[in-house]
Amino acid sequence: MAKKETQTPVPAIIDSVEALQAKMKAMREAQKKFSTYSQEQVDKIFFAAAMAANKQRIPLAKMAVAETGMGVVEDKVIKNHYAAEYIYNKYKTMKTCGVLEEDPAFGIKKVADPIGLVAAVIPTTNPTSTAIFKTLISLKTRNAIIISPHPRAKNCTIEAARIVLDAAVAAGAPEGIIGWIDVPSLELTNEVMKEADIILATGGPGMVKSAYSSGKPALGVGAGNTPVIIDDTADIRMAVNSIIHSKTFDNGMICASEQSVTVLDKVYKQVKDEFIYRGCYFLKSDEIEKVRKTIIINGALNAKIVGQSAYTIAKLAGVDVPEKTKILIGEVESVDISEEFAHEKLSPVLAMYKAKTFEEALEKSEQLIADGGYGHTSSLYINTNEKEKMAEHAARMKTCRILVNTPSSHGGIGDLYNFKLNPSLTLGCGTWGGNSVSENVGPKHLLNIKTVAERRENMLWFRTPEKVYFKKGCMPVALDELGTVMGKKKAFIVTDTFLYKNGYVNPIEQKLDEMGIQHTCFYDVAPDPTLTCAKEGTRQMLNFEPDCIIALGGGSAMDAAKIMWVMYEHPEVNFHDMAMDFIDIRKRIYTFPKMGEKAYFVAIPTSSGTGSEVTPFAIITDEEAGVKYPLADYELLPNMAIVDVDNMMSQPKGLTSASGIDVMTHALEAYASVMATDYTDGMALKAMKNVLNYLPVAYEDGTNLEARQKMADASCMAGMAFANAFLGVCHSMAHKLGAFHHLPHGVANALLLTLVMKYNAEEVPTKMGTFSQYEYPHTLARYVECANFCGIAGKNDQDTLDKFIAAIEDLKEKIGIKKTIAEYGIKEEDFLATLDEMVEQAFDDQCTGANPRYPLMSEIKELYLKAYYGK
Amino acid sequence: MKLDQIIATRDKKTVYKTDGLVIKVFNENHPKSDVFNEALNHARVEETGLNIPRVAEVTQTDGKWAIVTEYVEGKTLAQMMEEDPDNLQQYMNRFVDLQLEIHSKSSPLLNKLKDKLNRQINSLAGELDATTRYELHTRLDSMPKHTKVCHGDFNPTNIIIDKAGTAYIIDWAHATQGNASADAANTYLQFSLYDQRLAEIYMNLFCEKSDTAKQYVQQWLPIVAAAQMTKGKESEKAFLMKWIDVFDYQ
Repeated sequence: MAKKETQTPVPAIIDSVEALQAKMKAMREAQKKFSTYSQEQVDKIFFAAAMAANKQRIPLAKMAVAETGMGVVEDKVIKNHYAAEYIYNKYKTMKTCGVLEEDPAFGIKKVADPIGLVAAVIPTTNPTSTAIFKTLISLKTRNAIIISPHPRAKNCTIEAARIVLDAAVAAGAPEGIIGWIDVPSLELTNEVMKEADIILATGGPGMVKSAYSSGKPALGVGAGNTPVIIDDTADIRMAVNSIIHSKTFDNGMICASEQSVTVLDKVYKQVKDEFIYRGCYFLKSDEIEKVRKTIIINGALNAKIVGQSAYTIAKLAGVDVPEKTKILIGEVESVDISEEFAHEKLSPVLAMYKAKTFEEALEKSEQLIADGGYGHTSSLYINTNEKEKMAEHAARMKTCRILVNTPSSHGGIGDLYNFKLNPSLTLGCGTWGGNSVSENVGPKHLLNIKTVAERRENMLWFRTPEKVYFKKGCMPVALDELGTVMGKKKAFIVTDTFLYKNGYVNPIEQKLDEMGIQHTCFYDVAPDPTLTCAKEGTRQMLNFEPDCIIALGGGSAMDAAKIMWVMYEHPEVNFHDMAMDFIDIRKRIYTFPKMGEKAYFVAIPTSSGTGSEVTPFAIITDEEAGVKYPLADYELLPNMAIVDVDNMMSQPKGLTSASGIDVMTHALEAYASVMATDYTDGMALKAMKNVLNYLPVAYEDGTNLEARQKMADASCMAGMAFANAFLGVCHSMAHKLGAFHHLPHGVANALLLTLVMKYNAEEVPTKMGTFSQYEYPHTLARYVECANFCGIAGKNDQDTLDKFIAAIEDLKEKIGIKKTIAEYGIKEEDFLATLDEMVEQAFDDQCTGANPRYPLMSEIKELYLKAYYGK
Repeated sequence: MKLDQIIATRDKKTVYKTDGLVIKVFNENHPKSDVFNEALNHARVEETGLNIPRVAEVTQTDGKWAIVTEYVEGKTLAQMMEEDPDNLQQYMNRFVDLQLEIHSKSSPLLNKLKDKLNRQINSLAGELDATTRYELHTRLDSMPKHTKVCHGDFNPTNIIIDKAGTAYIIDWAHATQGNASADAANTYLQFSLYDQRLAEIYMNLFCEKSDTAKQYVQQWLPIVAAAQMTKGKESEKAFLMKWIDVFDYQ
């Protein structure tokens, strides 16, 4: 069986679907070759093609007028000249091949690729200039272009394309890179549009609609109905003559051409006189009616008047006007579509309206645009000091080009009366006109821009209070700065009742008195501080007006003080907004208010625990709404942290145990976090080693100064680690377990910690965490580093992890932590009843994002169940 | 069948009345498929539930094909409009309501109006130049594609009102499914050919009752004018040409 011939010869005349398909196939081959050309080669071709088109501008103009019977040779010469020269000039240095831009620091590169085969539908009104324009921008972008000419203008359109093709090929372009249909029909036009990669469909609404329904991306343009307003501040002579110049250009066949002029009452006569003086003819009322019936038939434009002179049209209508008449003007009133003069006329026929006010003129223009020019062009003549009117005009016109003091035919196509409006013969009309582009079409619309993005790491940081003071007995020394260095006058102390009643505040007050700093103390902070409590503190603060806040206590007192600080500095804040979760603290939606403008914040911990003295976190409970607001922002960092073990010697056993194991959890989660860095690792490692070695001692013998000191340092260092690396899913789960079943935060963490470690250490997790620096699941190795630092080693990684976990379990036992949630007296049915809600909330907790393993809710549920039952 | 009472004579057919039946006898050379197609169209429209005379049979008489339908005793709406001009508005109301009722029906197997119009434009190669046909095809191609039942020759002579005042719509030879505004454009054209005043009354009423923009119906006028031109009436040619030779905005 003989195989079908794959290489169909391309017929010389494209007049059938088969011939067209063969032609397009060959063009695709040519384009493939063209797509490998360098910028230098392309620019040489672009130059040669533009030069050739420019040379033939007069013959092409003559051909166009002769063939279509429309327009003015001299004006078509300008259009051809413009299409060659202005397009070349604008884009001669534009990069359209290969790498367009590159930023090595960000690892980003933009690479231009040609689209492939461009289908071009060319209108009869600008048959040669549009052909020159479209072929030139296709060559510049290494695309092939196949032209579907209008049957009324096919010879001149094809001739323009041939001239550009011959010059391009002579300059090195592949043979047949520009093609055309020789015998146009709707069937072939549709075939071209269906098969091409993109359509440049300049044409009437019918053609544009066909282009869009072809299923290929289309850059179509539609009808215009450019309304002009002449404001009473305008330079009338310039305005009228600009309009005449533009409206008579090529006998009014440019789609951006003026169709109506709305003149403000005050200058109406002046405008009319100027039009008459410059050779325009105002139709008398019976003549208006004659012209109406001549230009529009059944709501459609009479083909016989398109691109004809004013004299010819008047003659057709049976109206006697001087032969040199420039424009026929009908003074009409209605802007409704039923008024023939309100239409696009594609001829030197103009409607003129009178408006009492600028507002009325705007309304008329809006209606005219809605009638038939959505998205195209509008025009305004005005004194440019009238900023307000101009802004109102720009806001109201639903057109993609709004021209000021500019002849719109010339102005709309760009670069003639404004040099930042891109030159083009295809004017996008936006979605108003059913178009995909709203600007003047150019080479960039014929390129696929590829973005090459290399992996880059996030910028990380290490942020901590400007002053972190530590060592036994450092508190009074540190506080001295408030008076001697900073000259503070009023200090507001926040603490809890227990500490206050037991005299912990006395040394601070003594020191403040000594320095002559006025002070007051709010000591009503309870565990899990409430919004009511913080509001009361704030009220007192607002009365007292401190320039310094001193928080003394555990996490509760320090958190409450942070909240009061926020409300004191910014009484307007909304907690809902501040508490909004984020993926990346630097990209969060809410911008935290600037802190520290009223008061300097000093944090003095009395437990070794939360690390709140160095963290940007605070939790507050709105007991009325039953909502916990976890706030996180570096604005919440205290300005000074004073870690003095003298404040920590009398922690009760339960507190030592619970807050001590919390420190361990902070250190381990910060170390395993996807955001962990060498900076936070050092802090975390030292902290966890301290806990492992000294927590049992501190628990057994609270008076052991060394153990207390090591735990105080561990707490603060772990705080700094997780203030920057954040935490993980153990904390997410502990937050909800504590909230639902009233377990102390440290205990809740302790019950989950080793389960989560095993879970995170999985080498084949269901999903890993998303963070640019986090390359692959490596948490097992990370835990091994922790174990080794703490002096624990096994025969392999898994064994080391097992031994490390055993050591942590041993630690928990030594400090009196029970094995399961059940052992803490939480009833099974209560636990199970709340389980699903806890799971969902834990999954959604702010801490989950930094976990190295991205948890499924079912996995969190399993972890909770294991923690409850111990298996 | 006794064929002695002629009620109408046309180029291609003669219509007789007998025993409560209408017999449409086609000329000898009339294509058989056209006859069956007309009967089939008619039957399809019957099934939509519109009030129309039923097809009784397709038969042959003296070697000529014929379609037999029920006879309706009454006056055409055209006669009534002529005899009672004072109530023209009322008749026109009835007329438009009937057309809208047709448009409310669907009959998925009827021929497509768009296909028919495309064929008609193609067949005008002798009358219209390639550019004009191209413009007409482009215009037709861009019009929305609908599937409403269209009578195709909806004018007051095709509506019979019986003594009880019930209206019957007859002559379904041109029935298709398509865009109702095209059907309305054709009706407007039929009016325009002999009375522009009636045409305007009709157009306004149709647009008002169907909530259609006049421009939208007008967009079909060049196309239905071309379709009308296929009938080859020399006297209409100049008038139709004026409607056809319009310019799509560019």
